[in-house]
Amino acid sequence: MKKTKQISLVLITAALASCHRSNNQDWVNANGEHRKVYIRSDSTAPYTQMFHPFGALLWYYAFRPYGHYDYFGYRRVGYYSSAISQHSNIGTNAAKSGIIRGGFGSGFSVSS
Amino acid sequence: MKRLPLTPRNNWQKQVEKLGFGFHTTNVPYWDESACYEFSMDEILLIERASAELWDLCLGAVQYVMDNNLYHYFAIPETFIPYIERTWQEDHPAIYGRYDFCYKDGVPKLLEFNADTPTSLYEAGIIQWYWLQDFDKSKDQFNSVHEKLIDYWKYLHAYLYPGNLHFTCVKASLEDLTNTEYLRDCAIQAGLTTKLVFIDDIGWDTNAQVFVDMEDTPIKNIFKLYPWEWMVTEEFGVNILADKNKTFWIEPAWKMLLSNKAILPILWQLYPDCPWLLPAYFEPGRLTDYAKKPILSREGANIELVRGATTLHSTPGAYGAEGYIYQQLATLPDFDGNHPVLRSWIIGQEPAGMGIRESTTLVTDNLSRFIPHFIS
Repeated sequence: MKKTKQISLVLITAALASCHRSNNQDWVNANGEHRKVYIRSDSTAPYTQMFHPFGALLWYYAFRPYGHYDYFGYRRVGYYSSAISQHSNIGTNAAKSGIIRGGFGSGFSVSS
Repeated sequence: MKRLPLTPRNNWQKQVEKLGFGFHTTNVPYWDESACYEFSMDEILLIERASAELWDLCLGAVQYVMDNNLYHYFAIPETFIPYIERTWQEDHPAIYGRYDFCYKDGVPKLLEFNADTPTSLYEAGIIQWYWLQDFDKSKDQFNSVHEKLIDYWKYLHAYLYPGNLHFTCVKASLEDLTNTEYLRDCAIQAGLTTKLVFIDDIGWDTNAQVFVDMEDTPIKNIFKLYPWEWMVTEEFGVNILADKNKTFWIEPAWKMLLSNKAILPILWQLYPDCPWLLPAYFEPGRLTDYAKKPILSREGANIELVRGATTLHSTPGAYGAEGYIYQQLATLPDFDGNHPVLRSWIIGQEPAGMGIRESTTLVTDNLSRFIPHFIS
Protein backbone atom coordinates (compact mmCIF):
# COMPACT_ATOMS: atom_id res chain seq x y z
CA MET A 1 0.00 0.00 0.00
CA LYS A 2 1.18 3.49 -0.80
CA LYS A 3 -1.31 5.47 1.15
CA THR A 4 -1.39 6.66 4.73
CA LYS A 5 -3.41 4.28 6.89
CA GLN A 6 -5.07 6.79 9.15
CA ILE A 7 -5.09 10.57 9.39
CA SER A 8 -5.84 12.70 12.38
CA LEU A 9 -5.57 16.46 12.56
CA VAL A 10 -5.17 18.35 15.80
CA LEU A 11 -5.06 21.95 14.74
CA ILE A 12 -5.91 22.85 11.24
CA THR A 13 -9.63 22.21 10.87
CA ALA A 14 -10.58 24.27 13.88
CA ALA A 15 -8.09 26.99 13.08
CA LEU A 16 -9.07 27.46 9.49
CA ALA A 17 -12.73 26.57 9.23
CA SER A 18 -13.94 30.01 10.18
CA CYS A 19 -11.31 32.35 8.83
CA HIS A 20 -11.75 32.32 5.08
CA ARG A 21 -14.68 34.69 4.75
CA SER A 22 -14.36 38.40 4.87
CA ASN A 23 -17.28 40.67 5.59
CA ASN A 24 -17.42 44.29 4.61
CA GLN A 25 -20.54 45.29 6.60
CA ASP A 26 -18.41 46.97 9.21
CA TRP A 27 -16.69 49.06 6.59
CA VAL A 28 -19.60 50.20 4.45
CA ASN A 29 -22.80 51.94 5.56
CA ALA A 30 -26.35 51.23 4.37
CA ASN A 31 -25.85 53.48 1.35
CA GLY A 32 -22.76 51.60 0.29
CA GLU A 33 -20.51 54.47 1.32
CA HIS A 34 -17.24 53.75 2.98
CA ARG A 35 -17.22 54.54 6.68
CA LYS A 36 -14.38 56.63 7.94
CA VAL A 37 -12.32 54.27 10.08
CA TYR A 38 -9.31 55.47 12.01
CA ILE A 39 -7.06 53.06 13.84
CA ARG A 40 -4.08 53.15 16.13
CA SER A 41 -2.61 50.41 18.27
CA ASP A 42 -1.10 52.58 20.98
CA SER A 43 -2.57 55.54 22.81
CA THR A 44 0.69 57.44 22.30
CA ALA A 45 0.46 57.08 18.51
CA PRO A 46 -1.40 59.07 15.84
CA TYR A 47 -4.33 57.53 13.99
CA THR A 48 -4.24 56.10 10.47
CA GLN A 49 -7.31 56.13 8.26
CA MET A 50 -8.16 52.62 7.07
CA PHE A 51 -10.00 51.42 3.99
CA HIS A 52 -11.91 48.24 3.42
CA PRO A 53 -9.47 45.44 2.66
CA PHE A 54 -10.99 44.51 -0.69
CA GLY A 55 -9.73 41.10 -1.68
CA ALA A 56 -7.76 40.75 1.53
CA LEU A 57 -8.72 38.65 4.49
CA LEU A 58 -9.83 40.15 7.72
CA TRP A 59 -7.19 38.62 9.93
CA TYR A 60 -4.75 40.87 8.17
CA TYR A 61 -6.35 43.68 10.18
CA ALA A 62 -6.28 41.88 13.48
CA PHE A 63 -4.54 43.40 16.45
CA ARG A 64 -2.23 40.96 18.09
CA PRO A 65 -1.07 41.09 21.67
CA TYR A 66 2.39 42.38 22.04
CA GLY A 67 4.64 42.05 25.06
CA HIS A 68 7.71 40.40 26.45
CA TYR A 69 8.98 38.19 29.21
CA ASP A 70 11.37 39.45 31.84
CA TYR A 71 12.44 38.48 35.34
CA PHE A 72 8.94 39.10 36.67
CA GLY A 73 7.16 37.16 33.97
CA TYR A 74 5.14 38.26 30.96
CA ARG A 75 4.44 41.96 30.51
CA ARG A 76 1.84 43.11 28.05
CA VAL A 77 3.09 46.16 26.21
CA GLY A 78 0.06 46.65 24.01
CA TYR A 79 -1.18 45.59 20.62
CA TYR A 80 0.23 45.64 17.15
CA SER A 81 -1.19 45.33 13.64
CA SER A 82 0.85 45.21 10.50
CA ALA A 83 -2.11 46.61 8.58
CA ILE A 84 -1.23 50.04 9.92
CA SER A 85 1.96 52.01 9.73
CA GLN A 86 4.83 51.70 12.18
CA HIS A 87 3.99 55.29 13.10
CA SER A 88 0.52 54.33 14.33
CA ASN A 89 1.74 51.17 16.01
CA ILE A 90 4.41 52.59 18.24
CA GLY A 91 4.05 56.31 18.84
CA THR A 92 6.22 57.35 21.74
CA ASN A 93 5.87 54.03 23.58
CA ALA A 94 9.50 53.34 24.52
CA ALA A 95 8.79 49.72 25.39
CA LYS A 96 7.93 49.06 21.76
CA SER A 97 10.72 50.98 20.16
CA GLY A 98 13.63 48.55 20.59
CA ILE A 99 12.05 46.16 18.17
CA ILE A 100 11.14 46.93 14.60
CA ARG A 101 8.70 44.95 12.51
CA GLY A 102 7.58 44.75 8.93
CA GLY A 103 10.99 44.11 7.40
CA PHE A 104 9.73 40.90 5.80
CA GLY A 105 6.49 40.30 3.98
CA SER A 106 6.30 42.55 0.96
CA GLY A 107 5.29 39.54 -1.16
CA PHE A 108 1.66 38.56 -1.60
CA SER A 109 1.40 34.76 -1.83
CA VAL A 110 3.90 32.05 -2.58
CA SER A 111 1.43 29.76 -4.34
CA SER A 112 3.33 27.37 -6.60
CA MET B 1 -2.46 6.80 -16.67
CA LYS B 2 -6.13 7.28 -17.45
CA ARG B 3 -8.47 10.19 -16.91
CA LEU B 4 -11.90 9.19 -15.63
CA PRO B 5 -14.86 11.60 -15.61
CA LEU B 6 -16.77 11.46 -12.32
CA THR B 7 -19.84 12.82 -10.63
CA PRO B 8 -18.65 14.95 -7.70
CA ARG B 9 -19.84 14.02 -4.24
CA ASN B 10 -23.03 15.69 -3.06
CA ASN B 11 -22.08 18.72 -0.99
CA TRP B 12 -18.40 18.15 -1.66
CA GLN B 13 -17.80 21.78 -0.78
CA LYS B 14 -19.06 21.14 2.75
CA GLN B 15 -16.97 17.97 2.97
CA VAL B 16 -13.74 19.74 2.17
CA GLU B 17 -14.58 22.83 4.22
CA LYS B 18 -15.03 20.59 7.25
CA LEU B 19 -11.39 19.68 6.79
CA GLY B 20 -10.38 23.33 6.88
CA PHE B 21 -9.95 23.59 3.10
CA GLY B 22 -11.34 27.05 2.45
CA PHE B 23 -9.85 27.86 -0.94
CA HIS B 24 -11.44 25.06 -2.97
CA THR B 25 -13.02 27.59 -5.31
CA THR B 26 -12.00 31.10 -6.30
CA ASN B 27 -13.40 32.65 -9.46
CA VAL B 28 -13.01 29.19 -10.96
CA PRO B 29 -12.92 25.75 -9.30
CA TYR B 30 -9.56 24.83 -7.83
CA TRP B 31 -10.39 21.50 -6.20
CA ASP B 32 -12.03 19.54 -9.02
CA GLU B 33 -13.46 16.07 -8.44
CA SER B 34 -15.44 15.97 -11.68
CA ALA B 35 -12.59 13.76 -12.86
CA CYS B 36 -9.75 11.74 -11.42
CA TYR B 37 -6.65 9.98 -12.70
CA GLU B 38 -6.02 6.27 -12.44
CA PHE B 39 -2.49 4.86 -12.35
CA SER B 40 -1.14 1.35 -12.31
CA MET B 41 1.20 0.39 -9.48
CA ASP B 42 4.05 0.02 -11.99
CA GLU B 43 3.55 3.61 -13.11
CA ILE B 44 3.59 4.83 -9.54
CA LEU B 45 6.70 2.82 -8.73
CA LEU B 46 8.48 4.46 -11.65
CA ILE B 47 7.44 7.98 -10.57
CA GLU B 48 8.62 7.12 -7.07
CA ARG B 49 11.95 5.84 -8.38
CA ALA B 50 12.48 8.93 -10.52
CA SER B 51 11.75 11.17 -7.52
CA ALA B 52 14.22 9.32 -5.31
CA GLU B 53 16.98 9.34 -7.92
CA LEU B 54 16.48 13.01 -8.74
CA TRP B 55 16.88 13.90 -5.08
CA ASP B 56 20.38 12.40 -5.09
CA LEU B 57 21.23 14.17 -8.33
CA CYS B 58 19.98 17.49 -6.95
CA LEU B 59 22.20 17.21 -3.90
CA GLY B 60 25.13 16.50 -6.20
CA ALA B 61 24.26 19.57 -8.27
CA VAL B 62 24.22 21.80 -5.18
CA GLN B 63 27.69 20.63 -4.25
CA TYR B 64 28.85 21.21 -7.84
CA VAL B 65 27.54 24.79 -7.84
CA MET B 66 29.40 25.50 -4.61
CA ASP B 67 32.62 23.79 -5.65
CA ASN B 68 32.71 25.70 -8.93
CA ASN B 69 31.36 29.00 -7.66
CA LEU B 70 28.51 29.15 -10.17
CA TYR B 71 26.33 31.51 -8.16
CA HIS B 72 26.29 34.12 -10.92
CA TYR B 73 23.84 31.92 -12.82
CA PHE B 74 21.38 32.13 -9.92
CA ALA B 75 21.19 35.92 -9.36
CA ILE B 76 21.89 35.45 -5.68
CA PRO B 77 23.30 38.45 -3.80
CA GLU B 78 27.01 37.84 -3.17
CA THR B 79 26.68 38.72 0.48
CA PHE B 80 24.55 35.61 1.00
CA ILE B 81 26.94 33.10 -0.53
CA PRO B 82 28.91 32.33 2.67
CA TYR B 83 25.63 31.95 4.53
CA ILE B 84 24.21 29.59 1.90
CA GLU B 85 27.35 27.48 2.11
CA ARG B 86 27.21 27.43 5.89
CA THR B 87 23.62 26.12 5.87
CA TRP B 88 24.80 23.38 3.50
CA GLN B 89 27.95 22.44 5.38
CA GLU B 90 26.17 22.47 8.74
CA ASP B 91 23.29 20.51 7.27
CA HIS B 92 20.56 22.85 8.46
CA PRO B 93 17.20 21.11 8.73
CA ALA B 94 15.08 20.76 5.59
CA ILE B 95 11.79 18.96 5.33
CA TYR B 96 10.30 18.93 1.86
CA GLY B 97 10.22 19.72 -1.84
CA ARG B 98 8.07 19.02 -4.87
CA TYR B 99 9.00 18.02 -8.41
CA ASP B 100 6.78 18.98 -11.31
CA PHE B 101 6.81 16.26 -13.95
CA CYS B 102 5.59 16.05 -17.49
CA TYR B 103 4.43 12.43 -17.64
CA LYS B 104 4.14 11.11 -21.18
CA ASP B 105 4.80 7.73 -22.78
CA GLY B 106 5.31 6.25 -19.35
CA VAL B 107 8.33 8.42 -18.43
CA PRO B 108 8.31 11.34 -15.97
CA LYS B 109 10.45 14.28 -17.09
CA LEU B 110 11.42 16.98 -14.64
CA LEU B 111 10.02 20.39 -15.53
CA GLU B 112 11.18 22.09 -12.34
CA PHE B 113 11.83 21.49 -8.67
CA ASN B 114 9.89 23.56 -6.13
CA ALA B 115 12.42 23.03 -3.39
CA ASP B 116 11.84 26.08 -1.23
CA THR B 117 8.16 26.99 -0.98
CA PRO B 118 6.05 24.26 -2.58
CA THR B 119 2.31 24.53 -1.97
CA SER B 120 -0.71 22.22 -2.46
CA LEU B 121 0.62 19.95 0.27
CA TYR B 122 -2.69 19.93 2.14
CA GLU B 123 -4.64 19.03 -0.97
CA ALA B 124 -2.19 16.24 -1.82
CA GLY B 125 -1.88 14.83 1.69
CA ILE B 126 -5.32 15.34 3.20
CA ILE B 127 -8.07 16.42 0.83
CA GLN B 128 -7.45 13.79 -1.81
CA TRP B 129 -6.96 11.12 0.88
CA TYR B 130 -10.41 11.86 2.31
CA TRP B 131 -11.80 12.00 -1.22
CA LEU B 132 -10.52 8.45 -1.75
CA GLN B 133 -12.27 7.27 1.42
CA ASP B 134 -15.58 8.34 -0.15
CA PHE B 135 -14.71 7.33 -3.70
CA ASP B 136 -13.41 3.84 -2.93
CA LYS B 137 -11.53 3.26 0.28
CA SER B 138 -10.32 -0.13 -0.91
CA LYS B 139 -8.20 1.63 -3.53
CA ASP B 140 -4.65 2.75 -3.01
CA GLN B 141 -3.14 6.19 -3.57
CA PHE B 142 0.44 7.49 -3.88
CA ASN B 143 0.19 9.40 -0.64
CA SER B 144 2.14 8.95 2.57
CA VAL B 145 2.50 12.72 3.02
CA HIS B 146 0.92 12.85 6.45
CA GLU B 147 2.85 10.09 8.19
CA LYS B 148 6.11 11.11 6.57
CA LEU B 149 5.69 14.70 7.75
CA ILE B 150 5.06 13.58 11.32
CA ASP B 151 7.93 11.11 11.21
CA TYR B 152 10.36 13.65 9.81
CA TRP B 153 9.43 16.37 12.28
CA LYS B 154 10.13 13.79 15.00
CA TYR B 155 13.49 13.07 13.43
CA LEU B 156 14.37 16.76 13.09
CA HIS B 157 13.44 17.48 16.70
CA ALA B 158 16.89 16.44 17.90
CA TYR B 159 18.59 18.76 15.39
CA LEU B 160 16.66 21.92 16.30
CA TYR B 161 17.58 24.38 19.02
CA PRO B 162 15.67 23.80 22.28
CA GLY B 163 12.41 25.76 22.50
CA ASN B 164 9.76 26.72 20.01
CA LEU B 165 9.55 25.93 16.37
CA HIS B 166 7.91 28.98 14.82
CA PHE B 167 5.89 28.86 11.62
CA THR B 168 5.42 31.83 9.34
CA CYS B 169 3.72 32.85 6.10
CA VAL B 170 2.00 35.92 4.69
CA LYS B 171 -1.32 37.00 6.19
CA ALA B 172 -3.22 37.76 3.04
CA SER B 173 -3.33 34.26 1.57
CA LEU B 174 -5.55 31.53 2.97
CA GLU B 175 -3.76 29.04 0.76
CA ASP B 176 -0.41 29.86 2.33
CA LEU B 177 -1.87 29.81 5.82
CA THR B 178 -3.49 26.42 5.20
CA ASN B 179 -0.23 24.88 4.00
CA THR B 180 1.66 26.37 6.92
CA GLU B 181 -0.88 25.34 9.53
CA TYR B 182 -0.93 21.84 8.12
CA LEU B 183 2.82 21.55 8.53
CA ARG B 184 2.45 22.93 12.03
CA ASP B 185 -0.29 20.42 12.77
CA CYS B 186 2.10 17.60 11.86
CA ALA B 187 4.89 19.16 13.95
CA ILE B 188 2.56 19.32 16.96
CA GLN B 189 1.72 15.65 16.47
CA ALA B 190 5.45 14.97 16.36
CA GLY B 191 5.79 16.47 19.83
CA LEU B 192 7.25 19.87 18.94
CA THR B 193 6.23 23.09 20.64
CA THR B 194 5.09 25.48 17.93
CA LYS B 195 4.00 29.09 17.46
CA LEU B 196 2.58 30.88 14.47
CA VAL B 197 3.86 34.33 13.61
CA PHE B 198 3.01 36.03 10.33
CA ILE B 199 6.01 36.99 8.25
CA ASP B 200 5.37 40.73 8.47
CA ASP B 201 4.91 40.50 12.25
CA ILE B 202 8.39 39.10 12.74
CA GLY B 203 10.39 41.60 14.73
CA TRP B 204 14.07 42.45 14.76
CA ASP B 205 15.46 43.30 18.17
CA THR B 206 17.95 46.01 17.36
CA ASN B 207 19.66 45.67 20.73
CA ALA B 208 19.96 41.90 21.00
CA GLN B 209 20.35 41.44 17.21
CA VAL B 210 17.89 38.57 17.06
CA PHE B 211 14.54 37.92 15.42
CA VAL B 212 11.54 37.88 17.77
CA ASP B 213 7.88 36.93 17.60
CA MET B 214 4.91 39.01 18.73
CA GLU B 215 5.69 38.34 22.40
CA ASP B 216 9.29 39.32 21.82
CA THR B 217 10.32 35.70 22.30
CA PRO B 218 13.51 35.10 20.33
CA ILE B 219 13.04 33.00 17.21
CA LYS B 220 15.58 30.20 16.91
CA ASN B 221 13.86 27.67 14.67
CA ILE B 222 11.38 28.79 12.06
CA PHE B 223 9.58 27.14 9.19
CA LYS B 224 8.85 29.78 6.55
CA LEU B 225 6.48 29.49 3.65
CA TYR B 226 8.10 32.49 2.06
CA PRO B 227 10.72 32.37 -0.67
CA TRP B 228 14.36 33.02 -0.08
CA GLU B 229 14.62 35.14 -3.20
CA TRP B 230 12.22 37.61 -1.60
CA MET B 231 13.75 37.43 1.86
CA VAL B 232 17.27 38.25 0.74
CA THR B 233 16.14 41.45 -0.96
CA GLU B 234 13.80 42.69 1.77
CA GLU B 235 14.74 45.09 4.54
CA PHE B 236 15.29 42.34 7.13
CA GLY B 237 17.26 40.13 4.75
CA VAL B 238 20.63 41.39 5.91
CA ASN B 239 19.61 40.70 9.50
CA ILE B 240 19.71 36.98 8.75
CA LEU B 241 23.48 37.39 8.37
CA ALA B 242 23.75 39.41 11.59
CA ASP B 243 21.42 37.19 13.63
CA LYS B 244 23.13 36.32 16.92
CA ASN B 245 20.93 33.24 17.34
CA LYS B 246 21.99 31.80 13.99
CA THR B 247 18.38 30.80 13.53
CA PHE B 248 17.48 27.65 11.62
CA TRP B 249 15.29 28.78 8.73
CA ILE B 250 13.39 25.86 7.21
CA GLU B 251 13.74 25.37 4.29
CA PRO B 252 17.41 26.31 4.61
CA ALA B 253 19.11 28.87 2.38
CA TRP B 254 20.90 26.28 0.22
CA LYS B 255 17.47 25.39 -1.18
CA MET B 256 17.74 28.70 -3.05
CA LEU B 257 19.88 26.83 -5.55
CA LEU B 258 17.43 24.00 -6.17
CA SER B 259 14.32 26.16 -6.37
CA ASN B 260 15.97 28.32 -9.02
CA LYS B 261 15.51 27.16 -12.61
CA ALA B 262 19.20 27.78 -13.20
CA ILE B 263 19.67 24.36 -11.59
CA LEU B 264 18.08 22.72 -14.66
CA PRO B 265 20.99 23.35 -17.09
CA ILE B 266 23.42 22.39 -14.34
CA LEU B 267 21.62 19.11 -13.77
CA TRP B 268 21.65 18.42 -17.50
CA GLN B 269 25.34 19.25 -17.78
CA LEU B 270 26.15 16.86 -14.94
CA TYR B 271 23.76 14.04 -15.76
CA PRO B 272 22.99 13.98 -19.52
CA ASP B 273 22.14 10.27 -19.39
CA CYS B 274 19.49 10.64 -16.71
CA PRO B 275 16.14 9.54 -18.19
CA TRP B 276 14.19 11.93 -15.92
CA LEU B 277 15.89 15.11 -17.17
CA LEU B 278 15.21 17.25 -20.20
CA PRO B 279 18.11 18.93 -22.03
CA ALA B 280 18.46 22.47 -20.70
CA TYR B 281 20.86 25.32 -21.38
CA PHE B 282 21.60 28.86 -20.34
CA GLU B 283 22.25 29.95 -23.92
CA PRO B 284 19.52 30.45 -26.52
CA GLY B 285 19.98 28.72 -29.87
CA ARG B 286 20.92 25.25 -28.61
CA LEU B 287 17.38 23.88 -29.02
CA THR B 288 14.80 24.26 -31.77
CA ASP B 289 11.82 23.21 -29.67
CA TYR B 290 12.05 24.64 -26.19
CA ALA B 291 10.46 26.24 -23.16
CA LYS B 292 12.01 29.58 -22.25
CA LYS B 293 11.70 30.03 -18.49
CA PRO B 294 12.80 32.82 -16.16
CA ILE B 295 15.19 31.50 -13.53
CA LEU B 296 12.90 33.03 -10.92
CA SER B 297 9.19 32.94 -11.62
CA ARG B 298 6.07 31.62 -9.98
CA GLU B 299 2.85 30.02 -11.14
CA GLY B 300 3.78 29.67 -14.78
CA ALA B 301 4.47 33.36 -15.36
CA ASN B 302 6.62 34.56 -18.29
CA ILE B 303 6.94 31.13 -19.90
CA GLU B 304 7.29 30.84 -23.66
CA LEU B 305 6.83 27.52 -25.46
CA VAL B 306 8.42 27.43 -28.91
CA ARG B 307 8.39 24.76 -31.60
CA GLY B 308 10.61 25.64 -34.53
CA ALA B 309 9.63 29.10 -35.62
CA THR B 310 6.24 28.95 -33.90
CA THR B 311 5.39 30.15 -30.44
CA LEU B 312 2.89 27.60 -29.12
CA HIS B 313 2.05 29.45 -25.95
CA SER B 314 3.32 32.32 -23.87
CA THR B 315 2.26 33.68 -20.53
CA PRO B 316 2.42 37.21 -19.14
CA GLY B 317 4.09 38.20 -15.91
CA ALA B 318 6.62 40.39 -14.20
CA TYR B 319 9.56 37.97 -14.07
CA GLY B 320 12.62 37.57 -16.22
CA ALA B 321 14.89 40.39 -15.07
CA GLU B 322 17.31 37.86 -13.54
CA GLY B 323 17.68 35.85 -16.75
CA TYR B 324 16.24 32.79 -18.49
CA ILE B 325 17.00 29.17 -19.19
CA TYR B 326 16.01 27.12 -22.23
CA GLN B 327 14.64 23.64 -21.65
CA GLN B 328 13.70 21.14 -24.34
CA LEU B 329 10.01 21.38 -25.07
CA ALA B 330 7.96 18.68 -23.35
CA THR B 331 4.34 19.41 -24.09
CA LEU B 332 2.00 18.12 -21.44
CA PRO B 333 -0.24 15.15 -22.29
CA ASP B 334 -3.65 15.99 -23.66
CA PHE B 335 -6.77 14.37 -22.16
CA ASP B 336 -9.59 15.98 -24.16
CA GLY B 337 -8.07 19.40 -23.75
CA ASN B 338 -6.92 18.87 -20.17
CA HIS B 339 -3.18 18.98 -19.52
CA PRO B 340 -1.98 17.42 -16.26
CA VAL B 341 1.29 18.04 -14.45
CA LEU B 342 2.33 15.42 -11.88
CA ARG B 343 3.67 16.94 -8.69
CA SER B 344 5.71 14.46 -6.76
CA TRP B 345 6.57 15.17 -3.13
CA ILE B 346 9.86 14.57 -1.36
CA ILE B 347 9.54 14.59 2.42
CA GLY B 348 12.49 13.85 4.64
CA GLN B 349 14.54 12.94 1.55
CA GLU B 350 12.08 10.27 0.42
CA PRO B 351 9.30 10.23 -2.17
CA ALA B 352 6.06 10.77 -0.28
CA GLY B 353 3.15 11.15 -2.64
CA MET B 354 1.69 12.98 -5.56
CA GLY B 355 -0.83 15.62 -6.53
CA ILE B 356 -2.01 16.51 -10.02
CA ARG B 357 -2.69 20.00 -11.37
CA GLU B 358 -4.63 20.17 -14.58
CA SER B 359 -4.89 23.08 -16.97
CA THR B 360 -6.62 23.79 -20.24
CA THR B 361 -3.42 25.32 -21.57
CA LEU B 362 0.09 23.89 -21.93
CA VAL B 363 1.38 25.97 -19.03
CA THR B 364 0.19 25.23 -15.51
CA ASP B 365 -0.79 28.51 -13.90
CA ASN B 366 -2.72 29.82 -10.92
CA LEU B 367 -6.03 28.83 -12.51
CA SER B 368 -5.09 25.17 -12.80
CA ARG B 369 -7.28 22.65 -11.00
CA PHE B 370 -6.23 20.04 -8.47
CA ILE B 371 -7.46 16.60 -9.60
CA PRO B 372 -7.34 13.57 -7.26
CA HIS B 373 -5.89 10.22 -8.23
CA PHE B 374 -5.91 6.56 -7.22
CA ILE B 375 -3.94 3.42 -7.97
CA SER B 376 -5.85 0.63 -9.65
